[in-house]
Amino acid sequence: MRKAIALLLVAFICIAGAAAGGSGESGSGDTYKIGFIGPLTGDNANYGIRCSNAAKLAISEINAAGGIDGKQLELIAEDSEGTVDKALAAYEKLAYMDEVCAIIGPVFTSPALAVAQRCQEDGIVMISPSATHKDVTAQPATNPDGLNYVFRTVPSDALQSDVAGHYFYEVLGYRKLASLYAMNDYSQGLALGMKETFESLGGEVVAEETCMVGDKDFRTQLTQIKAAAPEAIYIPNYTVEDAQILEQAAQLGINVRFLSSDGFSDPEIYNLAPDFTDGVIYVGPAQAEASTILSDFQAAYAEMYNGDAPDSFATNSYDATYIIAGALDRAGSADTTAIRNEVAATKDFQGANGTMNFAPNGDLVASQGVYEVDGTTPVYIGSFQIVDNHIVQVD
Amino acid sequence: MSTLTLYMQYIVNGLTLGAIYSLIALGYTMVYGILKFINFAHGDILMVGAFIGLLVYTALTGDASPSAWTLTAFFISMLVSMVACAILGMLIERVAYKPLRNANRLAPLLSAIGVSFILSNGAAWIFGTQSRRFPYPFENEPMHIGSISITPHQIVVIAVSVIMMVLLTFFVNKTRMGKAMRATSLDQPTSQLMGINVNRVISLTFAIGSALAAVGGILAAFDFRVYPSMGTMTGLKAFVAAVIGGIGNIQGAMIGGVLLGILEAVGAPLLHIPNGMKDTVAFAVLIIVLLVKPDGILGKNEREKI
Repeated sequence: MRKAIALLLVAFICIAGAAAGGSGESGSGDTYKIGFIGPLTGDNANYGIRCSNAAKLAISEINAAGGIDGKQLELIAEDSEGTVDKALAAYEKLAYMDEVCAIIGPVFTSPALAVAQRCQEDGIVMISPSATHKDVTAQPATNPDGLNYVFRTVPSDALQSDVAGHYFYEVLGYRKLASLYAMNDYSQGLALGMKETFESLGGEVVAEETCMVGDKDFRTQLTQIKAAAPEAIYIPNYTVEDAQILEQAAQLGINVRFLSSDGFSDPEIYNLAPDFTDGVIYVGPAQAEASTILSDFQAAYAEMYNGDAPDSFATNSYDATYIIAGALDRAGSADTTAIRNEVAATKDFQGANGTMNFAPNGDLVASQGVYEVDGTTPVYIGSFQIVDNHIVQVD
Repeated sequence: MSTLTLYMQYIVNGLTLGAIYSLIALGYTMVYGILKFINFAHGDILMVGAFIGLLVYTALTGDASPSAWTLTAFFISMLVSMVACAILGMLIERVAYKPLRNANRLAPLLSAIGVSFILSNGAAWIFGTQSRRFPYPFENEPMHIGSISITPHQIVVIAVSVIMMVLLTFFVNKTRMGKAMRATSLDQPTSQLMGINVNRVISLTFAIGSALAAVGGILAAFDFRVYPSMGTMTGLKAFVAAVIGGIGNIQGAMIGGVLLGILEAVGAPLLHIPNGMKDTVAFAVLIIVLLVKPDGILGKNEREKI
């Protein structure tokens, strides 16, 4: 009896583990395999699931239209749980077992930094739809040919934090800001970048508070920020943390404006903290010119995934998939160097995000959008670029 | 804002967090007191409690705005969740721990970790991994005393916790069943010889501990949101609270929980280190307490009988 129960427990755990791990079976010789790495379970699964959904949608569209040179595309999605360890394990499976011809992802910055190094070393194209840290595309090309294999369809933080600092100082007229950011590469990169720009213009960050991803109580930090009396508070974090920060700030009687980053563009924030998002201003991806590609994508996505709306990262993931498909088409083979050369040669790609080009280091050439939340609806203010150390609205 | 009010605010916030830790720590400490075993599935029971509470509450109220009815519905869902978790706790004990009672001490521990995985993965499977918001059943406008702000939620958390702890203390010290519980924790074989139904006492211990975890889970849900892995870190911290207070000692768990909550809120600013390190401060204190007083603050310093 005892043994039977023990065996039963072990069996349960194995089943649970297998279910959580997901499965990717290798395809036949008639397919081009594309890998995806992102958090598909855990607290931040919302980002990874939407990105992989968008890539799946793109692939099903391409396959329905006859595939690439008669070959079908296959997406093998691996779960990173948002962690470096799991992302590297996923990379090893995709690169060495499935032998994918390119990788979309990783979704988060820290895993992307780790996987980018491996992609540079092994010579496999990686396009992240969402990892914004400036160092993601700054990994040395350690492959024998010295070619850059790392790209992204999301603007670099260097641009985002620069526009944020200028916008807060020049347009909103703030001189004293506070920041509360999670100690991870993404949030820290943005907060420190914004501070550098903001202080170089003459402003001051009067309180700089940190937290850990997964923290639930921010009252100590917010109390310190309240005591420093800033004009506004910059919270460049993911939605779960931002939701609690906004709510607890209201409970502590903090009524200054909150400023955020592209993490805020995930609509999940309006499910988690619907009463506290009004008035938040965030810098995020520039809105694409209203194109039929974008509206078609949004409609197809909503239809395929029960009315769910894609966030900006999912849009980037959709474009990344089409960029890889285009490169495969032009390369005409699964040779990773040929694919890399064609991705790098992408010129004026017309995607859901509008016209896209890559800089030589793999960064997206882009401007940044600014949004202000009205109740639970983000309202687009415009897109901005930095010209001669001043902010300029481009549309 | 003066430094004094600043620290008063930290303490108010820490007290709320600590009250929740205390409630959960009670479950660890009661089970340990009787079985000398750490029930690592306890944290996941609080998650189940929060989910049941949320489901019952939304079924009763839909998306209604706060009123007297939502407050009633909140307490109804808390009761339902307590009963359900009490049954779940007894069931887990029956199936996963009781058969291992005389086995190697590692066996029930591993069994508990297995149960913990089954509960959290099961919840992820049924409910998905997204965080869900527990709507406030009352208007949660903060009240200001000077420049310290307190929310009705914080008052409810502290009030409910105090009531639960008073009831538990009364039960353990003044009732026959409580006496049986204390006897069992002192000496199990002798209690059995005196006619105490030890199996019933153990079942009851799990039931009470799990019901308290359900309350803790629901109270935590407002701040933490409800998601399948919510029990892991909260459970670990409550376990630390139980150890700081002296595991096996009910008053110790209450003190340990409140202490840990306050330390978390005050520790980092007091030492002028980044707030991202606040858990480090809390766990460093655990190590110091263990070094100075290995049995915890109220733990009995008793030698192993030979």
